[in-house]
Amino acid sequence: MKNNIIILGGGQAGIYAAREIRQNDSKSNIKILGEENLLPYERPPLSKDFLLDKKKEEDLYFHSIDVLKNENIEFENISINKVDFENKKLFAKNDNVYSYDSLLISTGSENKKLTLDNNLKNDIYYLRNLEEAKKIKEIISNKNKITIIGGGFIGLEIASSLSQLQKKVIVIEIGNQLMGRIIPKQIADLVQNTHIEHGNEIILNKQIEKITKKNGIYEILLNDNSLIETDFIIAGIGSTPTVKLFENTNLKLDNGIVTNQFCETSIKDVYAAGDVSNFYHPFYERNMRLESYQHAQNHGICAGKNIAGVKTEYTSIPWMWSDQFNLNLQLTGMCDEYDEIIERGNDINNGVIYFFLKNNKIRGACGVGIIGKVGRDIRITSKLTEKDTIVDKQILSDQNLKLNKLIQK
Amino acid sequence: MSEENWIEVGSTDSIEEEDLIRFDHQDKTFCVYKLTDGFYATDGICTHEAVHLEDGLVMDDEIECPMHQGIFNIKSGEALSPPACEDLKTYPVKVDNDKIFIKID
Repeated sequence: MKNNIIILGGGQAGIYAAREIRQNDSKSNIKILGEENLLPYERPPLSKDFLLDKKKEEDLYFHSIDVLKNENIEFENISINKVDFENKKLFAKNDNVYSYDSLLISTGSENKKLTLDNNLKNDIYYLRNLEEAKKIKEIISNKNKITIIGGGFIGLEIASSLSQLQKKVIVIEIGNQLMGRIIPKQIADLVQNTHIEHGNEIILNKQIEKITKKNGIYEILLNDNSLIETDFIIAGIGSTPTVKLFENTNLKLDNGIVTNQFCETSIKDVYAAGDVSNFYHPFYERNMRLESYQHAQNHGICAGKNIAGVKTEYTSIPWMWSDQFNLNLQLTGMCDEYDEIIERGNDINNGVIYFFLKNNKIRGACGVGIIGKVGRDIRITSKLTEKDTIVDKQILSDQNLKLNKLIQK
Repeated sequence: MSEENWIEVGSTDSIEEEDLIRFDHQDKTFCVYKLTDGFYATDGICTHEAVHLEDGLVMDDEIECPMHQGIFNIKSGEALSPPACEDLKTYPVKVDNDKIFIKID
């Protein structure tokens, strides 16, 4: 049967869902509605290779327009401002109306903004999309001392890039460690050392009291009364799911759109995937919302299968990475529920991994090392986690013993 | 097929089964694998981002990039899982007197 399938949100989850639907359904109309006037593109390079000029805009697109044309997937640049779930219609700002049989919401997430009591709002920059990355890249060319507010993945990746561009970088973090929301302190400290070795200044445990501007220079007053002078400010203080459009509807929201393990929302024929979805994970037996490349891709693919009628549970073990300087940091599973921690390796040149175990099974692991050094072990760890394997702790802790010995075939 | 294009990589016992070694020749770099049914070779650098596959995971005839988990079939080079979408180049391999050779074009 021919259906109208609309994908609201032109990011990674949306494009992967669209192509997966087409693989399973050659007849239905598939239309992606994107707010940015760009085909879906990869965001990870924006804070790294794009700022460093190692990747250009044209290198970022997931697929060319020809791929979409060949697969008969439409892409339209439009902003939707109203949804009528009962009559299955979307209304655009330009009065266009879109009817759907199935709807996938993949609107992603948006940056939290600093609350400032003066009119410097437009002076603080954030990085999520290509346009913002272009602006930052242009402005920093004549700035020297740059302050990053927020010591999470995005802030630290920018800090790493700016340092490589010979800028003086200061990172201000409110918490008592970097990347505190998801990264264990042991790993965060290793990453912090690398930033310091490269000349970046890391300030922890400090809150911003006030930001003022004098003669083109910003003054950041911290809660210990210290004052930081800086030429430019970038903030990366977390994100929130993009759900404003659904706030006065019947769609169940709770830190994003609540979905089950099949990407189904509380409304029939409406699905959600990627950053915007607070989904049920059958392995961890709880809901979670993830903001990562792998999740956006795999969750989009899973939603695509379900929309096309191929009932598929989402069981992917979370995985994410961050590249800073010559380090590659990787995280798999969940590192917040454990009764034992096991360390593998103690030299960042060979990779250091911390495993988080509960009842002798791995629930999550986090590692960091020179690029390439932790990926294989982290990947094997994902497999061990997924298979709920009881692990030999001797093998886990001894870097000379290969982890793939633990995989039961 | 001219003989001089066959380049010696090393001895057959230099690679464990279901594993790989890196092999550099002139300005090119390769991965040479030992699978259950023999030896195989591919380009060394992932087609997604410039990362060497030498630290990747070999499993069930597949190599997975250690950085962003793109997966390739070792025998055909086919890109099997995003973010990799461009195939990996493969090279003929032969074993002679317990030595592995790959044919570089």
